Amino acid sequence: MAVPTVCTTQSLSSTCSISAPAKTHLGFHQKQVVFYRRTTKRGGGSCVITCSAADSQTVVIGLAADSGCGKSTFMRRLTSVFGGAAEPPKGGNPDSNTLISDMTTVICLDDYHSLDRTGRKEKGVTALDPRANDFDLMYEQVKALKSGIAVDKPIYNHVTGLLDPPELIKPPKILVIEGLHPMFDERVRDLLDFSIYLDISNEVKFAWKIQRDMAERGHSLESIKASIESRKPDFDAYIDPQKQYADAVIEVLPTQLIPDDNEGKVLRVRLIMKEGVEHFSPVYLFDEGSTISWIPCGRKLTCSYPGIKFHYGPDAYFSNEVSILEMDGQFDRLDELIYVESHLSNTSTKFYGEVTQQMLKHADFPGSNNGTGFFQTIVGLKIRDLYEQITSSKTAASLEATKA
Amino acid sequence: MATLSSVNLVTPRPVVVANLPKFAKGGPVAVPILNRPWKRVYRLGSRGLRGTGPVRAAPDGISEKVEKSIKEAQEACSDDPASGECVAAWDEVEELSAAASHARDKKKDDDPLENYCKENPETDECRTYDN
Repeated sequence: MAVPTVCTTQSLSSTCSISAPAKTHLGFHQKQVVFYRRTTKRGGGSCVITCSAADSQTVVIGLAADSGCGKSTFMRRLTSVFGGAAEPPKGGNPDSNTLISDMTTVICLDDYHSLDRTGRKEKGVTALDPRANDFDLMYEQVKALKSGIAVDKPIYNHVTGLLDPPELIKPPKILVIEGLHPMFDERVRDLLDFSIYLDISNEVKFAWKIQRDMAERGHSLESIKASIESRKPDFDAYIDPQKQYADAVIEVLPTQLIPDDNEGKVLRVRLIMKEGVEHFSPVYLFDEGSTISWIPCGRKLTCSYPGIKFHYGPDAYFSNEVSILEMDGQFDRLDELIYVESHLSNTSTKFYGEVTQQMLKHADFPGSNNGTGFFQTIVGLKIRDLYEQITSSKTAASLEATKA
Repeated sequence: MATLSSVNLVTPRPVVVANLPKFAKGGPVAVPILNRPWKRVYRLGSRGLRGTGPVRAAPDGISEKVEKSIKEAQEACSDDPASGECVAAWDEVEELSAAASHARDKKKDDDPLENYCKENPETDECRTYDN
């Protein structure tokens, strides 16, 4: 598959059209790289290999989180920001983990498991272990999709635990890779335009898993606890270290507003945003780079117990400079949401109240009344902003190249 | 109304028999359901659309798998809680529990009318009015 994308800068704009569906090693005839020699008039008869990749502007986003930590909810919010609902590919494997909408394609990295469930049981490894994943294939395919080449991605069937026959994935405008190891492999990490890590603290994770699993017969408090604890060593060794590489970390902790709270309903959520990331400017409260604590409830806004508390300030996170925006508490009413939104700056909204509107659109999603949903929505808008910046800079660059 | 009766025809016969109220007093109303066809339509329609049985946690296949995997994990860990087998077994439990939860969510959203309208938004049943 020696297809080094020797795209000379002159040809990045899709002025060259795919005339005839030539057969390449991939054998499809849609949106693929067609290699053909074309003599340019400019070069005076010299041959130029031009890459006519239709959409070589795929933006790749990585999302890392443990199982049961809200990746699916985040995905639905993110795809909704771009418009449309993401659906599994029509007419394909019904157990496919892929979600496709107009602008985005979400790929689940579990599809790159090298060992299926029986294989892992035999070897005694968890899915968290890098030995159970094929990082070479992951890198190859993400690179191909980023360059505008369609790939045949394997499917890991979560129901049967087997690796199913592959499905065709066409390069989208925005590719989201979500799973346990998007930032584990260095080569894949370099392909990501933006990366997010959902860091759920142990107490909150326990509470969420109880909520999720108690409806299943067979599960008890002990079994849930045992499951979390036995996975913890692998999680701490392989998954947790990825948070130092993330551009944005959403950390979910138990609330500090209610002393001795053990219900886990009210959450303290911190949005840790790395400084100096290209096309990403952190959200801030009042003034960038200064530290501020803010309680919006008071004369203008009445909140019910326990209220809402905000904090913003610069900090260091794993030897990176970051800005942290923190929210503790819950939203009860619409006007609380809009009041808070109106006081935040740099939220990348296109109109006043967009964050609130997005939150209301998905009021049935978990986390819609606290910082998890709020910050997920803001990160979604930031990604939209990042995408628009990248595409406009790429078209500007190609226009300049054609002029030159 | 037309749709309801078409659904009605699909539902299995035994359901009709089970719903027949028993009239101890005999009388001319031998088969009350035949005398009141609209009642029959309503009842069968609701049974047909919602299905029989209570709304279970997750589709049976996955629920059973979760249960089985928990038992296996508890057995594997009885010898050595730190061994690879034990850890892999609990990881399997976690994976299956996640799959079960997704299946539950999918089932919750499974509205036949919504699914039909997604494919055919131009039909009469799927017309929406935005004022």
